[in-house]
Amino acid sequence: MKTIAISGKGGTGKSTIAALIIRWISDHVSKSILAVDADCNVNLNDLLGLTLDNTIGAIREEMKDKANNLPGGMTKQQYLEYKFQTSLVETPDFDLVAMGCPEGPGCYCYANSLLRDVITETAGNYEFIIIDNGAGMEHLSRRTTQNINYMLIVSDPTIRGIKAAGKISRLVRDLETRVKEKYLILNRVKNSIHPSVLDIIKSEDLKLIGTVAEDNEIMDMDSRGESIWQSVKDTKAYRSIGEILTKFSF
Amino acid sequence: MSKSIAIQAIRGAHKIVARAEKELAQALKDKGAGIKVEFPDTAYYLPVSYGMLGMKIETLGGLKELLEEAKSLLPPVPDENINLPYLGHTLDAGMSALFADEIIEVIKYTQHPLPYLPEPDPKNGHLWLGAANDVILRERGIEFVDGTAPGFAACVGACPTNEIAVKIARELQEKNLYVFLAAGTDGKSMARQLYEEGIELGWTTRLVPFGDDVTACIHALGFATKAALSFGGAKPGDYKKILEYNKERIFAFILAFGHVDDEKFAQAAGAINFGFPTIADTDIGRILPTGICTYEHVVSPVEHKNIVSRSIEVRGLKISVSEVPVPVPYGPAFQGERVRKEDMYVEMAGQASPGFEFLTSKGLDEVEDGKIEIFGPEIDDIQEGTQLPLAIWAEVAGRNMQPDFEPILERQFHDFINAAHGLFHVGQRDINWLRISKEAKNAGFKFKHLGVILHAALHNEYGKIFDKIQIRIYTNEKDVLNLIEKARKTYRERDARLADMTDESVDTFYSCALCQSFAPNHICIITPERSGLCGAYNWLDGKAAYEMNAAGPNQPVKKGTEIDIVKGQWQNVNEFVYHNSHKTLEVFNAYSIIEYPMTSCGCFECISCVLPSTNGIMTVYREYNGMTPVGMKFSTLAGTVGGGLQTPGFIGHSKHYIGSRKFVSAEGGAKRIVWMNRNLKEEIREILEKVGKQEGIESFFDMIADESVATTEEEVLDYISKINHPAISMPPLF
Repeated sequence: MKTIAISGKGGTGKSTIAALIIRWISDHVSKSILAVDADCNVNLNDLLGLTLDNTIGAIREEMKDKANNLPGGMTKQQYLEYKFQTSLVETPDFDLVAMGCPEGPGCYCYANSLLRDVITETAGNYEFIIIDNGAGMEHLSRRTTQNINYMLIVSDPTIRGIKAAGKISRLVRDLETRVKEKYLILNRVKNSIHPSVLDIIKSEDLKLIGTVAEDNEIMDMDSRGESIWQSVKDTKAYRSIGEILTKFSF
Repeated sequence: MSKSIAIQAIRGAHKIVARAEKELAQALKDKGAGIKVEFPDTAYYLPVSYGMLGMKIETLGGLKELLEEAKSLLPPVPDENINLPYLGHTLDAGMSALFADEIIEVIKYTQHPLPYLPEPDPKNGHLWLGAANDVILRERGIEFVDGTAPGFAACVGACPTNEIAVKIARELQEKNLYVFLAAGTDGKSMARQLYEEGIELGWTTRLVPFGDDVTACIHALGFATKAALSFGGAKPGDYKKILEYNKERIFAFILAFGHVDDEKFAQAAGAINFGFPTIADTDIGRILPTGICTYEHVVSPVEHKNIVSRSIEVRGLKISVSEVPVPVPYGPAFQGERVRKEDMYVEMAGQASPGFEFLTSKGLDEVEDGKIEIFGPEIDDIQEGTQLPLAIWAEVAGRNMQPDFEPILERQFHDFINAAHGLFHVGQRDINWLRISKEAKNAGFKFKHLGVILHAALHNEYGKIFDKIQIRIYTNEKDVLNLIEKARKTYRERDARLADMTDESVDTFYSCALCQSFAPNHICIITPERSGLCGAYNWLDGKAAYEMNAAGPNQPVKKGTEIDIVKGQWQNVNEFVYHNSHKTLEVFNAYSIIEYPMTSCGCFECISCVLPSTNGIMTVYREYNGMTPVGMKFSTLAGTVGGGLQTPGFIGHSKHYIGSRKFVSAEGGAKRIVWMNRNLKEEIREILEKVGKQEGIESFFDMIADESVATTEEEVLDYISKINHPAISMPPLF
């Protein structure tokens, strides 16, 4: 099992990159993929052309509200497992689960502890876990996601963007989450990268693994709110992602 | 008990003792008192007399003392016209017969040629092995100790046909039992019947021919005695320990085939001393009440087809199936495996089709162990990608089975089915869902194997609870829909039973240390009537979590000796809390807010605290941000109560707990509540109205002040004084 987490501040095209990565791995490496939408502003499913029936957040709320009134005298462990398993969206190319929004007030220790168990256990069934992470790293800090092989931080090629990426990178280090390798991906690169951008990448202690070219086709699909799943294969961006991912020996 | 059995056993003992006396006299005359007598290669002398009496007999002359012992134990043969309680006499007669057996059998070892050989050599007419030596004892006896062999069946006599003999021997072997063969019926013995059918006899095949004489039965009991001496740590002469060891640890019984004469009755009586019952295929009467044996002592007549299962049940033998015989790998490592849609062959129940899982108990005669039936299509009858209904209906029977165990066993289906590679199971009851992978199907997995798994795994883990299980698997919608209502009715009854559960009705509470990561000195004690203070965890959750993970954050806490039943204090609970709060809390009252109240981690749904001048308490929910009459907002209160601190007058608790009979019951219960924030009050209106009704206080709900009428303690006092709130006239809190 390999876990790839994609992170980055809002507006960098992080979810699009995540969708492209899922597509490329599904096309070239394995279809045993669990895609995890861990960004509260759930939209990965839209990019992938799927409808969500349920999110982990909603299940967690339900668990809290129904604490003493579960159907069929089920234990919470079993009920949660059932709900979790049924909330997975299954496609021939990958499966998807959405984390939903972070918790409201109240005690979530129990629900989170149950969730961690069931997610960890289920994740073990897949060759790839691909997580579209929110910039706030909510799930990393909550330890609902663990043991990340590759953390890919997405940024646009601007000084401000890279600085934000550097911040995320340090946050990961401070959280002591188990991230093995950490890389930067520059998205929406028009021509060449400005030398001052390269300098700041260095000073932020980031490792640039590749760039994704600006892609009008994808921008168009995105702005029309369409799924990029079907027509992505011939795009420049898809080829760029392929170049990056071939650098990892999966 | 049956008088006829007693009479025949006592008469039989007299006959055997008389025979021993005669044969001993003859031997003494022929060979002299000084000649050595012994069973081969043993340090246990004549094991039964050595074990029971501590006698170390080494010579023919030494046997005289044993004979005297046998004679002194012999009761008079009872008059057929008098009714007496005969069991004690019968047991004495049995023991006396065993001593006489030993005398007769050991004298055989002074004869030439020896009637017994170490290995059977039936071709040359030598079938019989006689006493087991110590090498065999250590090799085989250890199997009795580690459970590889649960016990032995001592078969006495001969079966009506060779075919029946073979069938019964095979059935006993399948249960991993040793089969000891002795004596015969009308010149025919079961050992010879097996030999005639080409079946290999000997210690290696566990079919052990001791001897054709009735007295050869002693070698079975001698073996049992040696096991107690060598593995049970019993001292020679400590007959009580030896007999108890055998009753508790060696699951043996006597199978009597064909006519049972007086001498055989005497052997049966001897075996009862060890806790070994006799089951016969002919009508020899019955001794049904329990007493010496775990259950019945003598059961007859029993049909041949049932005799093995009946014997196992009468002896209280628990069968374990060491391997789960399914065509796919099986083990806990495969739990949590998800069968992806792409990989699945069939999907059952779940969101697409109806289904349920159900386990109920039945009478012992209504359940045939291991019977598995399929109603509807088998896996081979369907196409890949089919969705099918699924009902698993299990019926168990057992002497220790109780209705309360049904849901516990039923809940295990999930784990047990999931442990098969290529199976993905979620849920329980009528929310179940199963996928079987293409790989499992190709390996030969059938729906019937669901039954095989449950049979084997339940026997292994819960064999103490039940004896037999049969399983029906329904894969057609009509049956599933028909039966689902029946199952649902039972589910509802179980839930009602659980809802009625009280702290007094259980002897075990559950701890919860889930929050110790941030409140290291806090420990929750969850009782049926006091759920965890976070509101998430109730007693059943604790129990279920413990069943699933015995080393997890939820541990059973035996209540132990009651210290104060009103305040809810028990000795073991105190000790548990002391050790698990890192020795910060010594005393804990489950039902009091004033004296040694339960501590809180910080996850509480509500905080209740005393408002001293009102003689009552206030309760605030964690989402209420306003000021409370105690002068603190929720967040400040939380700092006072949380973190595992025992703060008299303050408790954190769940919403649910307010409706419990045990809510601060030491101080008079929920009718002490004088203030509550409005939202909470509305939310639990029903509960509060119920409390009012139970206490006979009209409009109790309205008597509770909230922030709309009072935000200070004075205002609360003012409010409740006007309406004569019950707290005012209750005994003072301090």
